[in-house]
Amino acid sequence: LSIDTICKVLSSNFTVLLIFFGTGSVLDQSLESLLHRLRGLCDNMEPESFADHELVYLLKGQQGNPFMLRGRRSLLHPTAPWHLRYLGQPEVGDKSRHALVRNCVDVAASHSLPEFLNEMGFRMDHEFVAKGQVFRKGAMKVVVSKLLRVLATGNTENTEPLSLSYIVELSVLAPAGQDFVSEDMRSFAEQLKPLVHLEKIDPKRLM
Amino acid sequence: MSGGPAVRVSIESQCERQVQEVSLDGLETYVPPLSMSQNLAKLAQRIDFDQSSDSEQESREPRSALKFQPSLWPWDSVRNNLRSALTEMCVLHDVLSVLKDKKYMALDPVSQDPSTPQVFQLISKKKSLATAAQLLLKGAEKLTKSLAENQEQRRQRDFNSELLRLRSQWKLRKLGHKILGDLSYRSAGSLFPHHGTFEVIKNTDIDLDKKVPDDYCPLNVQIPSDLEGSAYIKVSIQKQSADIGDLGTVSLFRRQPKAKPASQMWHLKLEAAQNVLLCKEIFAQLSREAVQIKSQIPHIVVKNQILSQPFPGLQLSISLCHSTGEKKIQRASPDKSKPDDHLYVLEHNLHQLIREFHKQTLSSVVMPHPASSPFGHKRLRLAGPMAYDKAEISSLQQSEGLLEKIIKQAKHIFLRSRSIQLQLNIGVEQIRVVHRDGRVVTLSHQEQELQDFLLSQMSQHQVHAVQQLAKVMGWHVLSFSNHVGLGPIESIGNASAITVASPSGEHTISVRNGPESGCKVLVQFPRSQAKELLKSDVLQEGRWTHLRGPYREVHWGRMEGRNFVYKMELLMAALTPCP
Repeated sequence: LSIDTICKVLSSNFTVLLIFFGTGSVLDQSLESLLHRLRGLCDNMEPESFADHELVYLLKGQQGNPFMLRGRRSLLHPTAPWHLRYLGQPEVGDKSRHALVRNCVDVAASHSLPEFLNEMGFRMDHEFVAKGQVFRKGAMKVVVSKLLRVLATGNTENTEPLSLSYIVELSVLAPAGQDFVSEDMRSFAEQLKPLVHLEKIDPKRLM
Repeated sequence: MSGGPAVRVSIESQCERQVQEVSLDGLETYVPPLSMSQNLAKLAQRIDFDQSSDSEQESREPRSALKFQPSLWPWDSVRNNLRSALTEMCVLHDVLSVLKDKKYMALDPVSQDPSTPQVFQLISKKKSLATAAQLLLKGAEKLTKSLAENQEQRRQRDFNSELLRLRSQWKLRKLGHKILGDLSYRSAGSLFPHHGTFEVIKNTDIDLDKKVPDDYCPLNVQIPSDLEGSAYIKVSIQKQSADIGDLGTVSLFRRQPKAKPASQMWHLKLEAAQNVLLCKEIFAQLSREAVQIKSQIPHIVVKNQILSQPFPGLQLSISLCHSTGEKKIQRASPDKSKPDDHLYVLEHNLHQLIREFHKQTLSSVVMPHPASSPFGHKRLRLAGPMAYDKAEISSLQQSEGLLEKIIKQAKHIFLRSRSIQLQLNIGVEQIRVVHRDGRVVTLSHQEQELQDFLLSQMSQHQVHAVQQLAKVMGWHVLSFSNHVGLGPIESIGNASAITVASPSGEHTISVRNGPESGCKVLVQFPRSQAKELLKSDVLQEGRWTHLRGPYREVHWGRMEGRNFVYKMELLMAALTPCP
């Protein structure tokens, strides 16, 4: 498999857009009030905690930017499959649109994923552990997570927090061509307003 | 002693006597006047005999110049006063007589204070009144303002307390100036695309001075127009299919349940609207499945009714009855002649099923682990890595929709109602059992009675089953008795027995079934097959061997078959040889 095949897969009909409405952050001491509010706004379920270990793989080609894939596994549910995700460049669309829209391909993978990617030529660029809670409201997903740095490669027991805050992400997976859900997302973000400001983040600026 | 003529002055002493006493009838009793001797005594008492006549001589000298001795004349002061009065009067008289001539004296009026004109008085009075009035008005204004503020606060407080009550039961959020709410089941897991938004309206414009209507509430809700009124899902089973023209016209409406007295109007409104929404969702789901699912007899979806045939000749109709409450249905519905055949159980089950479906979308099974994976059932996520094939994936999917489940339940209800022989009416003290053939038995509260009764019924039922089976299989019933008098006596009820003969007449089956003694089956074979019979000289011709001979008991416990009827059927089949 090479980059060309992967690109072909991406351009086929079953791509899905991932609309990242906003990303924000909240300090550790304000976490409780944010969780409380999310519990009230989102669907009526018990809050779901998670602890994941994510590895970011890069394939350095001869030209241009390296190709990035993210592999993620759950530390709380070790038997659950890995999740491999490709995120494309942000869609160039309406500038006034409040949401960041990217191509997204999600694949469930077995536990031999790291070896497989290594065989394919990918090299692990960095890894981290994310712990937090997931909420849902209809099709929207709100993830509140604390990012932890892995001190020794592969050892997820030994971690230290990357910062004193939690990162909040609001996202929706929608089929290609349908992005009118941004209205719902905007009103949802409005309701979180004084606690956390969710903004559109340009990934190119961060790279 | 004056120069003019003497003036005669008449003097009269007031001879008033002192009142001694006033009697009760008003008669006054005067103190009688002192007599001469009493008067003398009184005067003598006043004489001071200590003072000698020397002092009288001494005092007489300086007073000799005087003409009269004042101590001897009691009227002296009177005379002096009169004299001075006379002097005054004479002077006055003289002055007036001089004035009359006007030559030497004239009268001049004394200058008076200038009197204030009427107009000025009026103006000053008006001003003072105006100031007083202004003060009073200011005071009154303050009072009315404070009263109005109190009223307004009370109204606001009422509105706020109502709003608090509303918020404790329904989801509310603020959008600008408006307060909106959500009455849909989306937060409970529904995926129905209706927004379900209602608006909260302040109703504080009424005048509190006027009479407040009984159902006044400071808070009002405005629900979406398509959720007004009330609705329910009518499920019924009919034996014959309805006419084509009657499809989609189900409009029979049942009366509203009585509202709880403590609930507010907005609560009732919101509950009714939520119910309408749920009924719409149920009906939408059912009609979607009715169209998509392929079945042998296709389901018909017409307007607000879904028709399907669980069994041939039996029709199940599910319809959404939505009444906006504006106009009463005048036309007499064709169902009026029949009693209401709406199956409440199935309607309740539909509601339960849709709520189950809601809960499934919210179950934690759907939540992603790791957090970046999409929502979806966790077992389905294994499909990729474990390389499931199509059969395995389809087995993971939801196998049955709402419609199929309801049809199954309707079938069960129908079968149950068909096969019920007894009907138990459980009262407060007694149980009344109504048999299918009209017999009524009353049992007391002891459960042993009911148990015994049911056992006896069961044994009778088995014998009846043999009778029915015989009819079906073509066997003839030779004898049948519900209460046989032979054999061991049963402690509960009576044993029943039946004897049936095969179509060819060669075999008979005799069954005796008792609640206690159980089931005894005997089979009679033709003489030719009985080995133990001795050949005798009485029977000359061979045709007598076709008659039935001795009985043999069947080991019923060893018979093959799931239940009594199967076993009997097998036995009958085995005894009917193929031609």
